[in-house]
Amino acid sequence: MKLVDCIYRIAKRPAALIGLALLCIQIVAVLFGPLMTPYSPVEANPLETLQPPSLQHLLGTDVSGMDILSRIVYATRINLLISIGAVGAAFMVGVPIGLLVGYYRGPVSGLIMRIFDFIQAFPVFVLGLALVSVLGQEIWNVAIVLAILFTPMFARLIRAEVLSLRERPFVNAARCNGATDAVILFRHLLPNALTASSVQISISIGMAILLTAGLSFIGAGVRTPTPEWGLMVSDGAQQMILGVWWDSLFPGLAIVLSVLCFALLGDELKTLFDPSSVRRRR
Amino acid sequence: MKPILELQELTAGFEQDGEWVNVLRSITFGLAENEILGIVGETGSGKSVLARAIMGLLPGNGRIRGGDIRFRGKSLVGLKPSEYRKIRGSEIGLIATNAKALLDPVERVGNQIARVLREHRGVQWDLAKQAAIDLLAKVGIRDPAERAESYPHQLSGGMAQRVIIAMALVAQPQVLLADDATLGLDATVQVQVLDMMVERCRQLGLSVILITHDLGMVAHYCDRVAIVRDGQIVELKPVSRFLAAPESEYSRELLESAKPKDSEADMPGFEVRSKSAQPDAILAVQQLTKIFATPILNRFVRAVDDVSFSIDRGETLALVGESGSGKTTIGQCLVRLLAPNSGKIIFDGQDITNWTEGQFRPLRRRIQIVFQEPYLALNPRWRVFDLIAEPLRLLLYRDRKKITARVHAVLEMVKLPISLTRVFPNELTAGEQKRLGIARALATEPDLLIFDEPTTALDIRVRAQIIELVRELQSRTRLSALYITHDLNSVRSLAHRVAVMNRGRIVETGPTAQVFSQPEQPYTKALLSAELPIERPAGTEIAQYEYNHE
Amino acid sequence: MTGRLSLPGVSLKSGSGLAMVLAKLRKLWHTLIPRFMRIMISRLIIFVPQLFGVLFVTFFLIRLLPGDPALTLLGNLATPEAIAALRERLGLNQSILNQFVLYAQHVVHGDLGTSILTSNPVTVDLWERAPATFELIFYALICTVVVGLLMAALAVVRPGGFFDRVGQLYGLVAGAIPDFWVALILIFIGFHCLNWAPPPFGRLDTFVSTPPRSTGFLTFDSLFVGDWAAFGSAVSRLILPVATLTIVNAGAVMKMARTVLAANYNSDFAKHKRACGLREGTIVWSALRNSLPPLITQLGFLAGFLLGGAVLVETIFSWNGVGQYAVQAVVRSDYAALQGFVLLASIFILLVYLTVDIVYELADPRIEV
Repeated sequence: MKLVDCIYRIAKRPAALIGLALLCIQIVAVLFGPLMTPYSPVEANPLETLQPPSLQHLLGTDVSGMDILSRIVYATRINLLISIGAVGAAFMVGVPIGLLVGYYRGPVSGLIMRIFDFIQAFPVFVLGLALVSVLGQEIWNVAIVLAILFTPMFARLIRAEVLSLRERPFVNAARCNGATDAVILFRHLLPNALTASSVQISISIGMAILLTAGLSFIGAGVRTPTPEWGLMVSDGAQQMILGVWWDSLFPGLAIVLSVLCFALLGDELKTLFDPSSVRRRR
Repeated sequence: MKPILELQELTAGFEQDGEWVNVLRSITFGLAENEILGIVGETGSGKSVLARAIMGLLPGNGRIRGGDIRFRGKSLVGLKPSEYRKIRGSEIGLIATNAKALLDPVERVGNQIARVLREHRGVQWDLAKQAAIDLLAKVGIRDPAERAESYPHQLSGGMAQRVIIAMALVAQPQVLLADDATLGLDATVQVQVLDMMVERCRQLGLSVILITHDLGMVAHYCDRVAIVRDGQIVELKPVSRFLAAPESEYSRELLESAKPKDSEADMPGFEVRSKSAQPDAILAVQQLTKIFATPILNRFVRAVDDVSFSIDRGETLALVGESGSGKTTIGQCLVRLLAPNSGKIIFDGQDITNWTEGQFRPLRRRIQIVFQEPYLALNPRWRVFDLIAEPLRLLLYRDRKKITARVHAVLEMVKLPISLTRVFPNELTAGEQKRLGIARALATEPDLLIFDEPTTALDIRVRAQIIELVRELQSRTRLSALYITHDLNSVRSLAHRVAVMNRGRIVETGPTAQVFSQPEQPYTKALLSAELPIERPAGTEIAQYEYNHE
Repeated sequence: MTGRLSLPGVSLKSGSGLAMVLAKLRKLWHTLIPRFMRIMISRLIIFVPQLFGVLFVTFFLIRLLPGDPALTLLGNLATPEAIAALRERLGLNQSILNQFVLYAQHVVHGDLGTSILTSNPVTVDLWERAPATFELIFYALICTVVVGLLMAALAVVRPGGFFDRVGQLYGLVAGAIPDFWVALILIFIGFHCLNWAPPPFGRLDTFVSTPPRSTGFLTFDSLFVGDWAAFGSAVSRLILPVATLTIVNAGAVMKMARTVLAANYNSDFAKHKRACGLREGTIVWSALRNSLPPLITQLGFLAGFLLGGAVLVETIFSWNGVGQYAVQAVVRSDYAALQGFVLLASIFILLVYLTVDIVYELADPRIEV
């Protein structure tokens, strides 16, 4: 059933195709970016500041004369690195915690969930702001902060799944078949809980990109001259009012397309894994 | 006599993935005034779609493709939505399954009934409210004024169903469609609700279409019966004629499957048992008690209260009772999914009550349980092979060849094709899933098998197949079993002895034939009288309706 | 059916005296006090420790920072003696717990420290700026909810129709758009191209004087006094920021509302109502009413998102609210100000969740209190 069915189903859905296409573009940008872009992303060129889009600079130049297209391509690396790294770390930490907390209930689990509730109650952005200011503005710190912010989300998700799954008869059946706690956790609960969280991974990567961009925009994230989409928008913000639209528009568009890619993939994963959509074939 | 509702060559279906799927094919019948017509069919026969089609409420992509529905001579098929809406509830009413889900959770029950009356008859609010309360009394609800102020979640299943019936009757329709209205209700409650409903309808002169898969219900309440298969009416005639001599092959099969195999001599293993001089108990339960606590309202429920029984080798003991009687809890205590509060469990001579999980685990291969809801008891991400192999791997051996051999052997025992080993549970039919559950339980060659509601929610023929399977297992292996159910008919066919439970206590116990024919306790009598056997109740020959369109 | 076997210990206490007293109290609780009072009292009781927890976390957060606060306050040229003296005065040499107690005492007395940037007490700074942020959030909340709910309702009642398709697209894209970008584009189009919106520099036109402060909301204050010029100016300047926040957040509200509404509109009880011949309008209303509890919860989250969004939007529009204040505090390492802002934000969120919880429990009769 698996692979051929998947490919066939994906081909029928335009949203999935667009998502995959965007993902491929980003992967290409990450792997081959430096080879493809003609201009350096960090060398200032005072002769060509604020040029509108033209044949030499497809998306124009910014206030320091750097080619916007090149910077956008380079920024893909930074943004994806931070986001995927942060979400990956959050996943690695959050999933085991969620598993254990959901399965073994008790005062310790209650305490952990209270702490997580607390972290999640803060507006994400405000908390991110506070944490970054405390830890200092380095790329890695931004990733760490994001990881801290997303861990409760994964833990909570897995916990909810485990809580509902542990009452299902098939867990009881496994126990009657001689399964120990470990067997139940890893062979029965985890695979079922993971499908829900895989959707969340995709969405979280999108959110991480937005947060990174937002933090960089107000100057609390990545520092100049590192190319980062949010930072580029911020650089161009002043100019926007004066009519220079390309400096902020294109980096922002890059953010939108990148986040959209992950949102689409997340949606498609959700429908792919939905058991009710698997029709009986006999 | 002109029929009040008439279906002529009705054809309907829906679009799925660009293809047209026919669900109803040329359905033709008529419903006379004051008649109760039963429509019987298995899952997928289209009987529910029929009810929806009559109400003009086919789901999204469903459509009537041909034929006509006439109510009092007027065609319903071409009606405008606003016109159709006026007919629903005030001329034709519908009662569906699972009453609690049909009620608005945030509105008081009395208001919901009153609203229907207001909509159709324009009655003032306080008058409508009063009419609702009166009707609640008539459908058998105590303290109707108080109950009318309740929310749906505060009602029991039976009460909710009565409310739904009140809602359907309040605007005084002429025809009532009851689509599996009592599914899921306890037998005693079901009989009370049906008695009340049929009585009101006769009093008011309503015509009723009773859609069900229970032939006993049809035999007891209906004047005529229509058998539906794959969207077509296979047979349509008065009930007594049908029961005496069904015409089509399919109806005969249904009737045969629904009747219990009653005779004691038929019971496999019975001769073996009666011959052995020394009864040899494989399981003995002594004064078992299990208490559940609900912390919120500080309630303590004695789910199992001082229960004692024993099962001999080769014997099948049935534990019967309604929901809440504690029978399922006992099953779970026996396989240690729950720990009893007090009492003893003695398995094959050993007192296992206080054993730790580690001590008990090796014993698990000797006590196995078949769970109630097959789909939920199977890990949806595992294939059939792994599902059956799991107990083997965990409890017995790891040798791949041995496991494969055993899996194939067990599949053969439950009559499932070996080609299914690579398949996922959601690709199986309900009957196949049930068999898979049984196969998995048999894998380790257990000494004691516990069946938890094996025949619930199954179609007539599938149910008969499962019963047949269990009988075969009883004769081929020396199966000792605890058979937990509320389906009394299956008990007749399968169990040597029966124990009747009510509210956590065993009320009566003894050989099946004896208890069923000469019940001593009042509860047992009530339970037996709530059974709907497939025969006409004596003295209820209702006038035959001569109706020409068959 | 639990992960471990349920132990019989619980039931053994059923005979003890303590359990009986508790049971009696519970009975009184349920019979004497009406439902809405029970809800409010139980929520308020939880509120106090939550407040305490917020205080602790806020304090702890800032204490994590490396470096010497006294040094930061006095600057690099300070003498060791001056630093030591300041450390003594600030109580930095005491144990963490004592420091926290000290901090808590300060907070209770209304002292949140002094801002490095403005040289004002942080409390004064917050007091001046908070209304700006709350006015923005207030209007943004209303607009977001109205737009989101409307689109959701139209999408559900007419599946496959215009609003359904547009709504799906919008919902998908809206979650991907950064709010600061939308703000800039709106400014570009509205101000630069169309010359229609006012320049993004603050809450009022420079030539208009601020109305006397009664609530702090410029719109209300100007209405109370009858100052139409101020009112018009305040409204015109609110349009772009509120539009930004609405465009970005209404998508999420709409998606969620639509799922819940669709589930209720197509539920079994809705189908039963149709079968009884009730009008579509009644059914839509019933679906809405049933969707209320989850929507109310969503409002809580929305308030959180809006607060985060406000931080960014205020910076762009020079709104001079607490959000912009926080940003400046971060950039200038003004820790007292940042701490004050976090405290304020947390208390705001706590209050929102408190209200949400109370209203939720009132709205859903199935919840036992």
